[in-house]
Amino acid sequence: MRAFSRLRSALGTLLRKQQVETELEMEIRSYVDAITDEKIESGVPPAEARRQALAESGGLEPVMQAVRDQRASTALESVVQDLRFGLRQMRRNPAFAWTAVITLALGIGATTAIFSAVYALLIRPLPYKDSERLMEISAAMPKKSQYGGTLISPDFVAVRSSLKSFESIAGFTPWGDVNLTGLGDPIRVKVAAITANFLSVLRVDPAKGRNFLSSEDRKGGPAVVLVSHRLWQSKFQGNAAIIGRSITLGGKAWTVIGVLPAHFIFPDFALEPDLYIPADLDSDTSIGPQIVFPMSVIGRLRENVSLEQAQTELNLFTEIRFKSYPAFYKPFVEGSETDAEPLHRYLTGDDRRPLLILLACVGAVLLIACVNVANLQLARSVAREHETALRGALGAGQLRLIRQSLVESWTLATMGAVLGLAIAAAVTWLIRRGGMPGEFSSSSHIAELLQVPFGKMSAVVEVNGWVLAFTAGLALLTTILFGLAPAIGASRTDLRMTLQGAAPRISSGPQQRRLRSFLLIAEIGLAVLLLAGAGQLTRSFINVLRNDSGFDPRPCLTAQMQRNYTEAPEKTRRFAQQLLPRLQALPGVQAAAIASALPLERIGPNTAIVPGDGPLPPIGERTTSCAISVSPEYFRAAGTRVLRGRPLNDEDHADSAPVAVVNQAFARRFLTGDALGKQVRTNVGEMNPEAFTRRTIVGVVQDVRYNGMEGTVEPAIYLPFDQVPDTELNVLLRTTVEPGTLASAARKVVIDVDPDQPLFDVETMNERISQSVAQRRLMLLLIASFAGLAMILAGVGVYGVFSYWVSQRRQEMAIRLALGSSRPELLRLIVAQAMLLILAGGVIGVAGAWFADRLLASMLVGVKVHDPASLSFAWILMTLIALLGSGLPAMVAARTDVNSVLHSE
Amino acid sequence: MGRNQTNLVQGTLDLLILKAIGDGEFHGLGIGRRVEQITRGTFKVRPGSLFPALHRMEEAGWLASFWGDSENHRRARYYRRTREGERQLGVETEQWTTISRAIASALKAN
Repeated sequence: MRAFSRLRSALGTLLRKQQVETELEMEIRSYVDAITDEKIESGVPPAEARRQALAESGGLEPVMQAVRDQRASTALESVVQDLRFGLRQMRRNPAFAWTAVITLALGIGATTAIFSAVYALLIRPLPYKDSERLMEISAAMPKKSQYGGTLISPDFVAVRSSLKSFESIAGFTPWGDVNLTGLGDPIRVKVAAITANFLSVLRVDPAKGRNFLSSEDRKGGPAVVLVSHRLWQSKFQGNAAIIGRSITLGGKAWTVIGVLPAHFIFPDFALEPDLYIPADLDSDTSIGPQIVFPMSVIGRLRENVSLEQAQTELNLFTEIRFKSYPAFYKPFVEGSETDAEPLHRYLTGDDRRPLLILLACVGAVLLIACVNVANLQLARSVAREHETALRGALGAGQLRLIRQSLVESWTLATMGAVLGLAIAAAVTWLIRRGGMPGEFSSSSHIAELLQVPFGKMSAVVEVNGWVLAFTAGLALLTTILFGLAPAIGASRTDLRMTLQGAAPRISSGPQQRRLRSFLLIAEIGLAVLLLAGAGQLTRSFINVLRNDSGFDPRPCLTAQMQRNYTEAPEKTRRFAQQLLPRLQALPGVQAAAIASALPLERIGPNTAIVPGDGPLPPIGERTTSCAISVSPEYFRAAGTRVLRGRPLNDEDHADSAPVAVVNQAFARRFLTGDALGKQVRTNVGEMNPEAFTRRTIVGVVQDVRYNGMEGTVEPAIYLPFDQVPDTELNVLLRTTVEPGTLASAARKVVIDVDPDQPLFDVETMNERISQSVAQRRLMLLLIASFAGLAMILAGVGVYGVFSYWVSQRRQEMAIRLALGSSRPELLRLIVAQAMLLILAGGVIGVAGAWFADRLLASMLVGVKVHDPASLSFAWILMTLIALLGSGLPAMVAARTDVNSVLHSE
Repeated sequence: MGRNQTNLVQGTLDLLILKAIGDGEFHGLGIGRRVEQITRGTFKVRPGSLFPALHRMEEAGWLASFWGDSENHRRARYYRRTREGERQLGVETEQWTTISRAIASALKAN
């Protein structure tokens, strides 16, 4: 109330300023007049009375000033004055203002954009109700397991019924690609099997229809299915009549019982299923030779139960559970643990480090931007020292001077922040656009690029209240960072010295020079640090691309197909036999092949390998490998060289002798001496783990990279597709024409052979490579552009400081020249000064990089931390740029015209 | 005069001015004289502190002012207490009583 009254009155005072002033003067005058009158009445002569009255009251003007100082409006008014003054200064020197504002905008914009991503991915709670109580329960096995992180289904059933720390525990298992047919063109959908309580644990209800009943996720449960909102829209036109309808999924009829809400995000961002079916869980928890499947487990922690308590209970459970395993299976779980961790942390764990590194990098850019502006301000404050001193002499208090300088800085920072926010909003808009599902977006290349690492969460990368607050905070922080030092420096100006130092050109005092040098060194150091990081990432990226992939990505088209899991092997074989000649016959196709796995695809060991003749080792002690079923032309189509022996050919059919081709890694690991003619036993594709087939190795091929371009090459054994058909069927076409043009022809061929078979993920091999390095490329691009920005800003900073320095010392230069100094000497003098700072900055930067680059360690390929090449590259590049920045003003100085300078003094 | 003493005097000054005005209407000189009178000459209020206080209190809404003719027919600014000011007087009187009692008892204690 009182504050409001004061504010209102303050505003009133400001608006009627002239009137208020007049009235104040009248009031005080009438006071003095009244006293004068009294004195005259008591007999004092009028002149003397007036003098005494004035003396007693302390003078008209001081009293008036005391009243003015008291007013609330005075503080407000003087800030407005400062603001006006600041804006006038900026208008008077627009080059300075623009440089400062743009520098700050780049720094703040980049930082805000990265923070938006950090917020959306790392800080923002998951989009489920009370999501902080959701925990991921995962298995940590000491031995590498193909079920890494997941619990096998009997363990899941056991854990679900015994843990008391959790309100409820749900699980899911990805089913992978399944064909959805009978609704126009066949399409591939991604299916996940979930427990009946899965959605209720996440506190999500179907938008239409009903959820699974608790009886439906048992073994042999009904064939009912929930549809994602996305599929409902694209394939069923959002028709509500879909509930209760039957659809054909993987060759089997399923009844649709519900549709999920539009904004539901599956708690495994890599998965995003189109359809959900009930998990087919056996209530028998005993461990035996029955079929088990991996379950990802999410539990909702009970209120008042801590994570530690839950973990303790989980440890106890694990210990007892594994003790109850039959002796035969115990070796599998020896030393295993089961861990609970917050779901949010589990899901965003992989993004954490790259994002925080990026945030640190933009932070460094912002710091450099601040240093630059601080240096500009310092230089200006020296040029304005005379003015400042004069203002001080006329009675401006030190605080007022500091405030005035800070208000100027704040104005710059605010303008920078507004511009920066616009930059950030544009970037996040691009990210969001890229994040929309493929069919609906018209995404640009940039958007695609940005979208990759943010994946499904990119939809929520936005400028929101938190981001706005962050930006406002940045503006304030930058004001303090770049404004305070110059402000205090300026206010400390020694009045007498400055005003008496009659020379109109005052060079800066030692204190300011030290501060400026220090800031310059810091900014060069930061730029070197970033450049070194960018250098290491660039070298890693080149190394990754140089990695021998083992295949030829040039004109090659790839596509995927998935047969129904229940299909008989003979039928799959027949399908392949019919398909291959037609693909081969397509115009422009040089070689056509099918394979159960494409290069770069994520694969794991799927067969036991027993070399030689000896008895079979027991389960658990067998060595394993990846087995890939391929058609005869496969190596030609992929461009993989056959190093020894022969490739597979048409003679290797179902009825002929079992053969295999292996890669170099396989030969090294399992075979000694010449691999050709050696025999190994495999059990791939067999339901019975004891059913081995003896195969003769007829060829050795070069190592091909699976699991991405950066994956290590594991042993692989290639088997004739006819002998070991697989339900995953991928197509490879080596073409003589642009591979992309064959996509629709290939699709038509497949439909002709089997009208229910969709072909999906049709991509050229080059596109697959590009996707597999997308995250690395994005990191590299971002860090490299931040480093480039840092370098340019630091260069501009050096230029600014030295051109100022030179302009302040024109007189000295002229005198030196007049006394016989040569122009090259002058140039050397300045560059030597600069070199000292540049060297110091370089040393600090390299030392900083030496400590900081271990953060990048996990992203380095073929480069060690403290990579000398990157460090020296960063140092040399920054030194050159900085020399250029100081050399230009030095050249100006060397050209000083002696006469004009000395005459003007 | 130390800073602390000024603060104490300022707080007291508000109270004294509110008290001195009472239900009447006074100009600056009148208020100064009345303060002197009701404190039996202990407080002589100089214009350098009187006028800032008056303006501050007006901004706070405790006083209202208007222009009028003084006894010797000069234009003068008159002040009158507002209802807000009356309430403030109550508050400050209470505070002052509490403080002075506390200090008195503190001084008596050994």
